[in-house]
Amino acid sequence: MTALAMDAPGVARGLKERLWDVVRLHATNPWTTLILPWLITFAIFGLNYAIWALVSRAAGSGLEPDAFANNGGVSWILVYMMVTAVQAMSATFRFALGMSVTRRDYYLGTVLYFAMLSVLYAAGLTVLGWVEQLTDGWGLGGYFFAPVGLDSQPLWLRAYAILVLLLMFFFVGATFAAVWMRWKVNGLLTTFFAIAVVLVGLAWWATDAGLWGVVGDFFTEHSIVVLLAWTLPFTAAAALTGFGLLRRATP
Amino acid sequence: MNLEVAVDDGRPIFVQIAEQIEGQIVDGTMPEESQVPSINELAAFHRINPATALKGVNVLVEDGVLYKRRGIGMFVAPGAREVAVARRREGFRAKYVRPLVAEASHLSITPEQLSEMIRKEAGQ
Amino acid sequence: MTAVIEVEHLTKTFGKVEAVRDVSFSFAEGGIHGLLGRNGAGKTTLMKLMTGQEFLTSGTVKVFGQSPVENASVLGRVCFINESQVYPENFRGKHALKAASQFFVNWDEEFARELIADFGPPLGRPIKKMSRGQRSAIGVIIGLASRAELTFFDEPYAGLDAVARHMFYDHLLADFSRNPRTVVLSTHLIDEASNLLDRVVVIDAGEILIDADAEQLRVEAVTLVGKASAVREFAAGREVLGIQQLAGMASVTVTGLDDDDRQAAREAGLEVGPVSLQQLIVSRTGGRTSATKEGAAS
Repeated sequence: MTALAMDAPGVARGLKERLWDVVRLHATNPWTTLILPWLITFAIFGLNYAIWALVSRAAGSGLEPDAFANNGGVSWILVYMMVTAVQAMSATFRFALGMSVTRRDYYLGTVLYFAMLSVLYAAGLTVLGWVEQLTDGWGLGGYFFAPVGLDSQPLWLRAYAILVLLLMFFFVGATFAAVWMRWKVNGLLTTFFAIAVVLVGLAWWATDAGLWGVVGDFFTEHSIVVLLAWTLPFTAAAALTGFGLLRRATP
Repeated sequence: MNLEVAVDDGRPIFVQIAEQIEGQIVDGTMPEESQVPSINELAAFHRINPATALKGVNVLVEDGVLYKRRGIGMFVAPGAREVAVARRREGFRAKYVRPLVAEASHLSITPEQLSEMIRKEAGQ
Repeated sequence: MTAVIEVEHLTKTFGKVEAVRDVSFSFAEGGIHGLLGRNGAGKTTLMKLMTGQEFLTSGTVKVFGQSPVENASVLGRVCFINESQVYPENFRGKHALKAASQFFVNWDEEFARELIADFGPPLGRPIKKMSRGQRSAIGVIIGLASRAELTFFDEPYAGLDAVARHMFYDHLLADFSRNPRTVVLSTHLIDEASNLLDRVVVIDAGEILIDADAEQLRVEAVTLVGKASAVREFAAGREVLGIQQLAGMASVTVTGLDDDDRQAAREAGLEVGPVSLQQLIVSRTGGRTSATKEGAAS
C-alpha cells in the first residue's frame, strides 16, 4: 500500500476551478435558469402579439399610433428572476454541501452565475428590443421588450437598466433564499414581517415629516442612469447579507 | 503462535485465515514453492479487511511457513508442509482427542471400546 | 499510523438536546472504519461535524490535521455520502453523476461506468421519482467512484437488497486494495460489515460506548451454554452481558475470557460459542437494535 501523506494536496484545486464547478452545477440542468425564462418570455410575447394583431385588425385605421407603446411586458422577468434565484439556491445549496463544496465557494460561484445570467438576459433582451425598434414595434407598434418607461431611451441605457435591475432582483432573491436556508419558514416569515414594518414605518415617517416632496425631487432631479446606479449599493448590501446568512446555514 | 485452540469460530479472523492456508499446505493443495493468493485476493474472497488478511499471512511468514519474494508475491516455503503437519499433530490431541474422550465418557464408552471403534473406522 | 480524523471532547447541542456529548476518538489513515450505533444515536450528526456540514458547540475536530469547516483544501479530499442527500429539484440520475464527476478531483469515470452497469440505477429518471434503493445506488456509485481520500458512507444501503449490498462490499474491498483510501462506514447492519472493519466506534445516545479494533471485539465476549449450575459457577466474578435460563439450561454472555478459560469451560461441559459484533453491541446498549427487529421480521 502506498502511503498517503497528511498534507499532500493531491491535485489541489484553485479558487477559479472551484467557483467554475459551482457555475457548472447551476447549469447542469439548464431548464430552470436558461430555458424556461426564454420560453415564458416568448410565450407572453406571442400572446401580446396575438392581441395586438387582433386589436389592429378590429380597429382598422382608427387605431391610435401609440396604442401599444407602453406595454413593457418584459418587466415581469425581473420578478421571475428573483423567484429563480430562490429556487436555484435552495435546490443546489444542500447538494453542493454534499459535494464537499464550502459555503464560501458555493456563494461566490452562485454570485458569478447570477451575474453571468444577468449579462446574458440583459444582452438578449436588448437585442430583441433593438429588433423591435427596427421593425417599428413588430409592424404593429407594439413595444414589449422595452421596460416600462424606457421605450424611448437609447439601447445602451436599456441594456444597463435591465442588467442593473436583474442583478438587484437576483440578489434580493438570493438573500431571501439564504434567510430560508438559515432559519427556514419561520425566519422567512419573520423577515417579511420585519421588512413590512420597516417600510410602513418609513412611509409613515416620510408623511409625518413631509418628506414626500424631497423624495419626489430626488427622482426627478437625477438622471435615470444615476437612479439606476443607486440600486448597486443596495444590491451589494443584499449580496453581503446573503453571504453572512449562508455562512452559518446547515443542510 | 498457538493454533491449537478448538474451533468455536469466535476466534480472530486472521487466525482463521492462517489456519486455512496452513490446511491447504497440509493437504497438498498448495505445494512447496507454489504461490499463495495475494492479500487483496484473500481479502476480496473472504470479504474481510485487507489488513486482517495481511496479519494472517504475516503469522505464517513469521513461522517460516511462507516467504515473500519481493515484487512477485508470497510463496510456500520449502519444508513448510513438515512444519505445518508437526504443528497440527500437536494440536490434534487438544482439538480432536480430548473432546472425543470426554464425549465417550459421557456415553459410558470405555477407552478399550473407543480404541476398537477407532480401529474399525480406520480399517474401512 | 497517522490519524486522518481526530475528534476531541466534541459536543454538539441542538437547543436543549445534546446530540453528541464529549466524544473523543481518532481514525487511522488507510483503514475501513465503522461508526456504529442505533438510529438517532448521533452517527449522522458526528459525520456532519467531521465534514463541516454542522457547526460544533465545543471541542475540536481535525481532518487531515485541520478543522474541516469551510476549509476547501480539506473538503476537497473528502466525500460524504449522506443517507438523506438532497438533490436539486429537476436532477436526474445522470445529472447527479455528472456533477459528482466534476466536483471530485480523483473521479474515475471508467469505474463509475462499471458500477452503473452493476447497480443499474435508472439514469434518466428524476431522482425524486426514484425508489430508495435506486437513490442509494446513486449515492454508492458517487462515493466509490469519487476515489476521495476520505470517504464517509452514512447508512449507504438503505433500500438495497442483499445482492446489491454484497456488491457494494466487494467493490469497496476491491477498489480499496488497488487505490488505498480511508473509509468511514456507518450502518445498522453490523454483522454484514463487521469483517471489513478495522476500528469500530460505537456511539449510544451521543456518547462513545465502544472504541476498539474489530478483531479485539470479535473475541471479547463468548456465550457459554450448558447446565445452569455449571454456567453460573463459571460466570461468577466475570462481566456478564446477558443471561438466559430455560429448564435446567442456561446461556450466559461474558467477557474477558482468554484461551485457557475457554478450554476450561469446554472441559466443564459447557458449549463455548462466539458473540457477533452485533450481539455484543446489542448487549452493551441494553436493548434491541433496529437491525435485530428487522432481522426478526425478515
